[in-house]
Amino acid sequence: MAVADMPSWPHNSPPLAELKEMARQNRVDATNMFMTAGNGHFGSCFSCTEIVVVLYFALMRIDADSPDRPDRDRFIMSKGHAAPTLYSALIRRGFLPEEWINEFETAVGSRLMTHPSRRYQRGVDVSQGALGHGLSVGVGMALAGQMDERDYNTYVLMGDGETNEGSVWEAAASAAKFRLGNLVGIVDCNGLSVDGKLADVMPMEPMVDKWRAFGWDTIRVDGHDFPSLLHALAPRRTGLAASPRMVIADTVKGKGVSFMEHTRSWHSDVITQTQYERVIAELAETLP
Amino acid sequence: MTKPLADTHRDAIAAARIAYPQKGIRQQVGETMVSLAAEGAEFLVLTADLLHATGMAPFNERFPERVVNVGIAEQNLAGVASGLALCGKLPFVSCYAAFTTLRGVEQIKLDAAYNDAKVIFAAQSSGLSYGVGGPTHQTFEDVAIMRAIPNTVVLTPSDAPEVDACLRAALTYKKHAPIYIRLGRGPEYVFNPKQMNFLIGKAVQLREGRDIAIVANGSMVFEAVLASDFLATQGIGAGVLNIHTVKPIDRNALIAFSRTAAAMVVVEEHSTNGGLGGAVLEALAETCAPRCRLIGIPDNFPPIGPTPNLRAHLGLSAEAIVAHSLDLLS
Repeated sequence: MAVADMPSWPHNSPPLAELKEMARQNRVDATNMFMTAGNGHFGSCFSCTEIVVVLYFALMRIDADSPDRPDRDRFIMSKGHAAPTLYSALIRRGFLPEEWINEFETAVGSRLMTHPSRRYQRGVDVSQGALGHGLSVGVGMALAGQMDERDYNTYVLMGDGETNEGSVWEAAASAAKFRLGNLVGIVDCNGLSVDGKLADVMPMEPMVDKWRAFGWDTIRVDGHDFPSLLHALAPRRTGLAASPRMVIADTVKGKGVSFMEHTRSWHSDVITQTQYERVIAELAETLP
Repeated sequence: MTKPLADTHRDAIAAARIAYPQKGIRQQVGETMVSLAAEGAEFLVLTADLLHATGMAPFNERFPERVVNVGIAEQNLAGVASGLALCGKLPFVSCYAAFTTLRGVEQIKLDAAYNDAKVIFAAQSSGLSYGVGGPTHQTFEDVAIMRAIPNTVVLTPSDAPEVDACLRAALTYKKHAPIYIRLGRGPEYVFNPKQMNFLIGKAVQLREGRDIAIVANGSMVFEAVLASDFLATQGIGAGVLNIHTVKPIDRNALIAFSRTAAAMVVVEEHSTNGGLGGAVLEALAETCAPRCRLIGIPDNFPPIGPTPNLRAHLGLSAEAIVAHSLDLLS
């Protein structure tokens, strides 16, 4: 079944090849947005592509025809600067029109900007951009679901550098206290923040031990491997665990483009027309 | 420079002041929230380890299933409240003004205001109401901060009856925005009727007078009323306008009021930078506003002391309002 033909609510996971194709398409969409704008956060987007794709095309219960359904799963892009990855998913799932790719950051009133906003974008649950906010809001959303006995899951995607923020750990402690088995945190561990290696700027390892110490059911996976992500991020509707879940996803900053991978400057560098053509050429095939 | 008041005048004002009963603001908040829950209003109470300190322990005893305590973590407090609001809950955040507005300001701006989340921040111990706490707990910049954030409502009720009416009005107010309610802590003189209305955005004229126009909010409304009543005994008419909603400010009422007198005094228990005084002057900027004096906390860290003494020391009193009024009229 092609992804475009999937019934929107609920649906079954598409085959692996479809997910890989959606990841490829997602990176192309993000590249086109950045080319339109003349800047972008390539590295930060490409490290979390598979995570966003697996949530939006295989796991989350969402409905483009009725984006506000109370029992929808929630997704918070707490690392808001990776918005184009989210925009592509929303476009390919029918929440936003495809033409919007061409207006990313272009003019006053552009509906797609650097960071996601629920004011302008259908399907965005929470506006994000300043780091260290998403997990607290996610705790509130998961708590509301628990109080109302709804079976939705709340997913919060953070960057590894983002976990420098003290507010992340305030939220972490409270999620464990409230026994939010319906809350799933994801840390996109690409190992680089704006100023360099996270290990140099502000080391946060051992990440798994930290989250476990805060009371989270924590596993570490390859953040580009769909089978691992499908397993780690599967929503739980019944028989909820008493602990929130944390998925530490080891990723590669700039994944999928040879000259961007593991490179600090591609956090937010601009690309030339020549580089653009090279990126598109490298993204012609799905990743292995 | 204002001239000191005669001792007999000071005594007259002091005697008038203590003739009024008092009621604790913290106590009133606790009573109102229990009543509202018992009456069937649906809301949650969120706090950062301040249930007891904000008078909400009785609420917690009666409605524990409605209470969310995030511990001493004000950033998370505002974020969790916003998440709950975005899923259809009405969070009533019972907190201290100092920590909520300064520690959690980005969360209030982004998680609540930018996301159009209705969260009520009932911020106690504001101004000098925890005077002995010193500058860590005294809060003289919260109105300036909160009103500069887009999509916020800023309320500053004066005494216990008005606090009760204000909380009720906030709960039913139809706007997807954080509502910041600036509250005191200990006993304040009660001058409003026990049952009263509170219309968000509507200023209340408490005294009429053609000589001087006094604008006040919060704890200073009572002092303004005392000052007006004393000035009346001296043959001076002093109008009093209670601006209990600093944002959205009642511009029309303010302009009309400013035209009733040749001089104006604005008095608040907040820094003279950016509080009610600033809001009033902004609203009057393009009108022929009268000469105006701003009374508030000077741009220094206030000394430490019991609230009534501290207010008097800083000139936040009916006596000081009278002295300034006489000075403006001389």
